[in-house]
Amino acid sequence: MSVDLELVQRVQAGDKKAFDVLIMKYQQRIVHVITGFVHDPVEALDVAQEAFIKAYRAIPNFRGDSAFYTWLYRIAINTAKNYLTARARRPPAMDVDAMDATNFYDAPELKEFETPESKLMSDELEHAIHEAIQDLPEDTATAIQLREFDGMSYEEIALAMDCPIGTVRSRIFRAREAIDKQIQEIMSEGEQQ
Amino acid sequence: MTIHQNELLSALVDGELQGDEIEQALQLVITNEQARMQLQRYQLASDVLQGYVSGSKNVDLTSRISAALVDEPVFSQTPMVKKKAQVILFPKQFWKQATGLAIAASVGALAVMGVMTQPQNQLIPVTPLAAIDAPTVVAQAGNRWTVGEPEVADRLNTYLLDHNEYAGASGVFTYARVVSYDAGR
Repeated sequence: MSVDLELVQRVQAGDKKAFDVLIMKYQQRIVHVITGFVHDPVEALDVAQEAFIKAYRAIPNFRGDSAFYTWLYRIAINTAKNYLTARARRPPAMDVDAMDATNFYDAPELKEFETPESKLMSDELEHAIHEAIQDLPEDTATAIQLREFDGMSYEEIALAMDCPIGTVRSRIFRAREAIDKQIQEIMSEGEQQ
Repeated sequence: MTIHQNELLSALVDGELQGDEIEQALQLVITNEQARMQLQRYQLASDVLQGYVSGSKNVDLTSRISAALVDEPVFSQTPMVKKKAQVILFPKQFWKQATGLAIAASVGALAVMGVMTQPQNQLIPVTPLAAIDAPTVVAQAGNRWTVGEPEVADRLNTYLLDHNEYAGASGVFTYARVVSYDAGR
């Protein structure tokens, strides 16, 4: 059983803390999707929060017929559309499919969401992460790239790199550790400013 | 935080925990604030690489959603998530080896069956027995015998035919005997 389904089962059985982990996992993606509809950053966060609360209330009915993220994504889209309707704004003319959600990344509407400070911060973050990957040993860099860019599972990466799954797991962990150092530096700089 | 704990959190980001590791990771995140922050940073790095962070600062809705859910009911139902059928899972390596063995066994069986179903006297000219009896036919059969007298060659042919007929189903053995005879000459 996948980790997500295990977490959902725990929530269904009364473990509220398991829902926190699901929030941590998917909050960035959900906010990202909602900003395709709701451009104001503060409003977008409110809508994302509402979507997660709706998901929590509906989780007893989640049967695992689809992936948890797909289910959560639909709730987020509906919440955003309802929000715009309630505010008498027009939702985007085109509908957004789960697979196309990332295309909104470059949508002109999103530019409104960015402030110069936040743009600088995210650019710096992205640059630092890519730089950290470049400095990694080749096998470690390949493992994290196959995972993050190609979306491969550990088993698929192990086959592609001809090594045990445990080695893949530790390579990806080492890559994350290196990336994390960069992130912590940027965050501490951000706090000082 | 130990290396093992951090590795657990990294695998949690990828949804690649096995067995009771989920429980370990969950307990870690619930009870350890440092682990919680570590998980969020790992997740942030993953989200940035996958293009989910667009111009916004690192979003952390966990605490405000948790606060909003305080008054929500705690569910206590039997989980509705469908459980998959219990299947004994063998490692992929096992299936690879088993498939290889099965293919090798099939090819081997086909080869043996092929040889066994061949006519027993295929190495002897495919001619009626009556024709073989004739000395001239023996002479045309590629100088099988180097004996001068046709009677002797004829008898040898008869012995060979008898042997082939009574040697049973052992086609390979028969073939080997005939070939070795010629090679020995």
